[in-house]
Amino acid sequence: MTPLLNLLAQAGEAYHYRPFITPAPVWDQWYVLLLPICLAVAIVYKSIKCDSMKRVPREALTLFVIILFVMAMAAGALAGLVKALER
Amino acid sequence: MTPASPIAPPAPVVATIGWLVPGAGYWMIGQKARGLTIGLTILVLFVMGLWIGGVSVVKAPPSVNPLTIIGTDPWFMGQILNGPLCFAPIALSRWLGAPASHARSQDIGQLYTAIAGMLNLLAIMDSAYRARRGATR
Repeated sequence: MTPLLNLLAQAGEAYHYRPFITPAPVWDQWYVLLLPICLAVAIVYKSIKCDSMKRVPREALTLFVIILFVMAMAAGALAGLVKALER
Repeated sequence: MTPASPIAPPAPVVATIGWLVPGAGYWMIGQKARGLTIGLTILVLFVMGLWIGGVSVVKAPPSVNPLTIIGTDPWFMGQILNGPLCFAPIALSRWLGAPASHARSQDIGQLYTAIAGMLNLLAIMDSAYRARRGATR
């Protein structure tokens, strides 16, 4: 939670920031914003798929970790491809 | 598992209520935990999108013609799936004179609000399907 709290603190200090009116100054921490959206997708998807809601927390957490892992692998592969093409 | 409701609401009604209030379609068919979980998650995602990009990430389309909307403001097609909730930032943006969102904040804000809408579309379809099947689990 600390990166998200830092984001909120920075948002208050930066330019004439007015919450919900001007854009939050989070452009340098965009990667942290990947976490809530992946978590939300995992929760909604598993809430729809699971017959019993009791299974949702565990399965959503597993899916959340899988999404992050696959995205990190894809990012690594694409970064490697770019480096290889740059040579 | 609770027994099936003797008077199940028709699927189109469940789908409409699910669009009006995210997660409410499940509530109508007796799946309150599912409806609350999905509804709150979608709402949080939508509000986070407005926080990141400002209320002007949801723009009023210049026309009601879907083809025009796709051509000029395709994100609105996803955002409108959040229901009437998506008209609140448009009204607030005009009322408060909010500046246009820009750069990465706009991109991420649009992504959050549109994905919230697309997740609501999944929820609408699933709740309508469950209503038609008569499931109340």
